[in-house]
Amino acid sequence: MSDKTNIYKPIKAKLLEVITESPTIKTFIMEPQEEFSFKTGEFIELTVDGIGEAPFTPSSSPLETKQIEVTVMKTGYVTEYLHNMKAGETLGIRGPFGRGYPVEKFYDKEVLILGGGCGFAPIRSLLYNLAAVSDKLRKVTLCYGSKTPDECIYRPYVDQLRETPKFEVLRTVDEPNESWTESVGVATVLLDKVKVDIKNSIAVCCGPPIMMKFGTSKLLEMGYPENDIYLSMEKNMSCGLGKCGHCMMGKYFVCKEGPVFTYDEIKDQPDIWS
Amino acid sequence: MKNYYSLLISDWNAVIKKILPNYSIYAPIKENDSLDYELIDLENSSNISYNLPKPTTPLKTFFLPIKENLTTKLKSENKRIIIGSPNCDIQGLNILDEIYLDKNYIDTAYKEKRDNTILISTACFNTQEHCHCMTYGIHPFPKKIADISLSKVDTRIHLEVLSEKGEKFITSIKDLATISESPESEIKDIELKQSKIENEIISKNTGLPDYKKTGKIVSKAKDEIWKKYSSTCVSCGACATICPTCTCFLLIDKPNFEKIRQLDACQYPGFERVAGGEDALGELPKKFKNRYFCKYVWKPQKFKSLACTGCGRCIEACIGKINKNEIFRELAN
Repeated sequence: MSDKTNIYKPIKAKLLEVITESPTIKTFIMEPQEEFSFKTGEFIELTVDGIGEAPFTPSSSPLETKQIEVTVMKTGYVTEYLHNMKAGETLGIRGPFGRGYPVEKFYDKEVLILGGGCGFAPIRSLLYNLAAVSDKLRKVTLCYGSKTPDECIYRPYVDQLRETPKFEVLRTVDEPNESWTESVGVATVLLDKVKVDIKNSIAVCCGPPIMMKFGTSKLLEMGYPENDIYLSMEKNMSCGLGKCGHCMMGKYFVCKEGPVFTYDEIKDQPDIWS
Repeated sequence: MKNYYSLLISDWNAVIKKILPNYSIYAPIKENDSLDYELIDLENSSNISYNLPKPTTPLKTFFLPIKENLTTKLKSENKRIIIGSPNCDIQGLNILDEIYLDKNYIDTAYKEKRDNTILISTACFNTQEHCHCMTYGIHPFPKKIADISLSKVDTRIHLEVLSEKGEKFITSIKDLATISESPESEIKDIELKQSKIENEIISKNTGLPDYKKTGKIVSKAKDEIWKKYSSTCVSCGACATICPTCTCFLLIDKPNFEKIRQLDACQYPGFERVAGGEDALGELPKKFKNRYFCKYVWKPQKFKSLACTGCGRCIEACIGKINKNEIFRELAN
C-alpha cells in the first residue's frame, strides 16, 4: 500500500519485464518493493521518475500480490517515456485508488463484457478474477474490438480464455487483413451476435469514450437496466484522493467514487463521454 | 457567560512584540488603498489594521501555498499566528478541512499547517463594495473555526475566545500584560457594531439569491448565459486563485520521486484534458460554466460546507469585469 503518512509519496517498483502487445501498446510487469495489493478495477498512479505520473488500472490478476502489470498505450507525455523504459529500471506506484468492480454482485449471473482497444487492460484483470470464481458464475462473454488485427492485444491470453469452460471470446476489427477470420466492424457489432439471458446478466463496458457511448446505448437497447451496466470511466485522475479536482465529473470525483460506475449513477452528470 | 477578555492597545502591541520570538505572526497592514498580510516584526507590529474587510490574499494561501514540496520533510516551522482574517475567509476553511482532512486520506502538509496555526480573526466593522457573506448565511464576524475573535474599540482590544486553542493562547499571554474580562457594556457595543454591518450587507444585496437557490438557478441556466458572461473572460484564473474555497491543484514530478503541489484552476487551459486529447472543458463557455456548477451545484451535493463564502474577491479580481452577482441577479429574474 502507499505510505499512509504521506499520501503523495509513491512506493518503488522494479520493472521486471516489458512485453510489446501491439505497435502502440506495451505491458509493464513490475515488482513493488513494499507490500501492495488491489481489487480489480481499482487504479494506481504510476510515476516515471522526474517526468510525471499517470493513472492506470492494473491488467494483472488482483489475486497476484508479488507482481503487478499495467498495459499502456503510447498516447501522451508520460506514456512516451514509459514506453522507452527497460527491465531493471525503477518506477513509482501510489494507490490503489477508487472503487473497482463489485465482483460479488456478478455471482449467479452471466457477465457480458464489451471492450475496445487498450480498454482490454482493466478487463483482463477482471477476467482473471472472474476465472478464479467461475464456479459462482453462469457464463462470461467477452466482446472485444480493435482497429486492426495487429492491435489485438493479449493474443496468448485470448487463446487460453477460449479453452476455459464458461468463457467465450468474440473479436472484431475495423480494418481486417487477409488472415483475419473473425468479425469486422466496430465493437458494438459483436453485441448482435451474443446470446445472453439479459434478466440474469450484467454488462461491463471499458474502452475509448466513443465506444463507451455507443456501447452503452446498445446495451440499453438490448434491455439491460441502467444499474446493471458497469462503466470504467476515464478522466484526468491526478491525485487519486478526491482533492486535486482534475477528474471531477459533475458531483463525482472519478478517482474516489469511480472509476467504475453504473450507468444510472452517472447518466445525469455532464460530459461523461469526453 | 461570554468568554471576552480585554486589554489596552498599547499592551496588546507590547504582547505581540514579546511573543515574536516564539511565533511567526502574519497580520494585515494597510498601505495606500491596499490591505494585505505582512510578516510582523518589531517595526511594523503597531501598524496592524484591525476589523477591516479584507486582505487581498485569501487565507487559504497560508495552508495551501502556491507551490509546495509534498514529499520532502521541511524543517519544522515556527508556530504561526494569523491575525485579521475576516469570517468569509475563516469559513472558507470549512470546505478545505473537509477535502484535506478527509479521514481516509489526511493531507499531512495541510494538517501540520492547520495544527500549527492560531487564528485570531476579526469582526468586520466596515464593508466593501462586493461583500455579500450574509447572502450565503455567513456573518461578518467569526463564531467558529477561528480560535479568537478580535475587536478593536477605541483604545482597547477585545478578544473573544472561540476554541480551546484560543483559550490556551489567552492563558499564555496573561502574564505579559494587564488583561481583564471585557465589561458587558463594551461587549454590547461590539455586538451593535456587528449587527449594523450585518444589516448593511443584507440591504445592499437585496434580491441576490441565497445559497439554497443558487444551485437550482445555475442548473437551469441556458448556455447563452455562459456564452454571454464568458465573452470577456481570458482564462487568467484570477477568480480561482483569489477564491478562499477554490483548492484544485496540479502534482508536478521532480527527480527522486518528489511531488510538488502547485495550485491550479479549472479556468486554465487543459485542466481536464486526458492523454488521448479529449478535453471536456476545451471551450471557454464550458470552462466558465464549470466553475459555477462546481461551486453552486456539485460541491453542495458532496460537501456540508459552502463552496462560496460571499467574499466578492472574484468580482474585484476579474480583469474582464465579470460580476458573478450580476449573473445571479439576471438568472433570478
